[in-house]
Amino acid sequence: MVKSKDFFIFFLLLVLGLFFVYIYSNIKTTKEDVYNRIETDQIEQISTILNAVQRDFTTSLNIRNSDELLNAFMEEENAKKYEDIISLIMTANIKYAYILYKDEKNKFRFILDASKTDKASFYQKFDVTQNEYFDVYSTKKPVILKQKDIENLYITLLHPIIINNEVAALFSVDITTKIQDIILQSIKPLENFFIILIIVVVLFMAMIAMQLFHYFATRKRVFTDPLTNTFNRNYLEELQNVINLNNYSIAMLDLDKFKSINDIYGHQAGDFVLVQASKIFKASIRASDILVRYGGEEFLLLIHNRSGSALQVCERIKESISSRDYFYEGNEIGLSVSIGLHKHPALEKNLHEAIKIADKMLYNAKKNGRNRIEIYDEKSISEKNDSSKDISFVKEALDEDRVTCYYQPIYDYKKCEIYKYEALVRIIAADGRVVTPFEFLPQIKGTNMHYKLTQRILQIVFDKLKESKKNISVNINFSDLINADIEETIIKHLKSNPELASSVTFEILESDEIDDVELFKTKTNLLHSLGAKVSIDDFGSGYSNFKTIIDIEANYLKIDGSLIKNIDKNIKDYKVAKSIIHFASQSNMQTVAEFVHSKNVFDKLVELNVDFMQGYYISPPKATLIEKEELFDSVKAI
Amino acid sequence: MRTVIGVFFLIALAFADNTHAIKAEILEKIFANISMKKGLVIWSDDKELIEEFDKKGSYATTAYCKDATLLILENKKNLDKTCHEKAIFVLDYALLKEVPQSFGAIFWKKGRPNIVIIAPRAKAQSIIVSDKLDDYVEDKIW
Repeated sequence: MVKSKDFFIFFLLLVLGLFFVYIYSNIKTTKEDVYNRIETDQIEQISTILNAVQRDFTTSLNIRNSDELLNAFMEEENAKKYEDIISLIMTANIKYAYILYKDEKNKFRFILDASKTDKASFYQKFDVTQNEYFDVYSTKKPVILKQKDIENLYITLLHPIIINNEVAALFSVDITTKIQDIILQSIKPLENFFIILIIVVVLFMAMIAMQLFHYFATRKRVFTDPLTNTFNRNYLEELQNVINLNNYSIAMLDLDKFKSINDIYGHQAGDFVLVQASKIFKASIRASDILVRYGGEEFLLLIHNRSGSALQVCERIKESISSRDYFYEGNEIGLSVSIGLHKHPALEKNLHEAIKIADKMLYNAKKNGRNRIEIYDEKSISEKNDSSKDISFVKEALDEDRVTCYYQPIYDYKKCEIYKYEALVRIIAADGRVVTPFEFLPQIKGTNMHYKLTQRILQIVFDKLKESKKNISVNINFSDLINADIEETIIKHLKSNPELASSVTFEILESDEIDDVELFKTKTNLLHSLGAKVSIDDFGSGYSNFKTIIDIEANYLKIDGSLIKNIDKNIKDYKVAKSIIHFASQSNMQTVAEFVHSKNVFDKLVELNVDFMQGYYISPPKATLIEKEELFDSVKAI
Repeated sequence: MRTVIGVFFLIALAFADNTHAIKAEILEKIFANISMKKGLVIWSDDKELIEEFDKKGSYATTAYCKDATLLILENKKNLDKTCHEKAIFVLDYALLKEVPQSFGAIFWKKGRPNIVIIAPRAKAQSIIVSDKLDDYVEDKIW
């Protein structure tokens, strides 16, 4: 809207500028007109006098031809008389007035000079360079010569002296521009005023033009994703206010297993794939369609109705993506795309709602095997109504700030104190129900939403640590740990706050995700270097590599709950737990047992000399950090 | 010829910011159409005019009037007695009357450039004037 105002001001200035130019041009024209009127008036006056003088030549001097005229002015008395008469026309504006005689050799000569200055001698030669002097003899009519090449002279009036129908000589009157100069001088301030006005207007116009140019240049930068050269989400925000959804179908596109490409070949390969894919997307759509990089490897495509069948466009994209070979630094990368299509987004409340449905379809496409298109239809609607918690559920919770953490104490039974707390994510559903991660984490695993959720949890935990000064553990996946944004968040918070770092423990899930052991070590070393503690979560359930665990110098081993929960009944679990506790003790690691749900389990763990315990027997996770007095509430109740 | 020199005047006047250069140009044209017994060596009391001739290099110049074959005179007072007999071209019509040895003049009349060459005086000094300058030749000073 601001820019509309700028355009209006620019237009207004343009009109104003043109108006001033028009006024200025009119002043110039008026000036010329005044010049011409003065010139005409002067010439008329001079001609009247010269005609009278000419008549006097014949009446007083009785002259009948040019020779008699020459002879008449040889006589000083005559010359003096007519010089006096002609000098009557001499004003400030008339510089020279003289009579020229053309001799037998066609040379012009002065026979009378009434000028006050630069007076010529009688019969002195006068070199003329303009043919008009000769033309007067044939035309017998006065001629006005514009004297642009002669300094101080404006025009010369050549007035023939006609005696007996023959041109006997020429009156020549040189007129200067003195009066015109005076007029010019008086008009000059007005002219200058308008010139300044025009310059000011032009300057303002230039400023506004620059501002508009800057606006559009910035706008392009702000609305364009620099990597893929497609629109970004900022553009989507602008678009949602102006787009007519009746004209479009909406497709969400997501590159399959993009995270693996990033992990295996590096982020540069990921960028390469994104660029290649976006090129294919752009080549498969029309100018009227709108492609937006929605986030990470996810694109939003608004397909205009005039582009034909939206499904065909999506199929074309899917085929083009999967049929091409992608090579990055000699490695062939397989690529496919999953697409969620909403053919009638106008049926939804707004663009945002329509996108959510397309996103849901995309999730279905992923869930149903990837490299496929899922179209929104009635079946999908019913699915939507009784859906499990999915990406959009998490996205909504993040947007509406409904993500929170519950805290379960980790108990130091030897000191009878709470050693620390484990932060466990929860989402408060729209209906107020507390939703546990089992309902939504599997669905977002490996998606960008997972990273966003992790970042939010970290933020909540860091805030809690600062507020409470207690020790808190937070769960983090290996894939989270190697995510650049998450790493940046961790470094940002811990580097500047050593106290905060010493209070936090990162519980890293020990699983088959850890395929790059060296990278794993590097990342845990980074956490150590920041002053944070590292715990291996769910130890004993995955593909435990004892050497790796020793190498990373974890502070804690958290024994997997599946080994603990039946420890009082299952001797094998008891033996495994015993071995882990022994191994940890030998490797300078402390042990935490989770899933402690009964006194029997608690006692067995005491017997095994585990360091810390955690479970519903001690305390369930709570929305707040409970005190030790609140522990064993279930036991107390009995 | 009238047209040739006339056009030359117009061009010259268009660049009227250097009158000495214009004068030198016109004089060069004139001197190209006269011939003297001796080669042309120019002296002038107008030092800037001499500088213009030196710049063009068409004619030899000298700082001493006694070494010159042609004098270009602006002011009668600057004429050394030893040079009275030399051929003189003046820069004012009135000087033609005052300096008997002067045979020609270039001057501005009513804002226009004028050239006058006095034929008897030129002849007396064995200066031959080309027909091309006929428009400027006069038999006497008026």
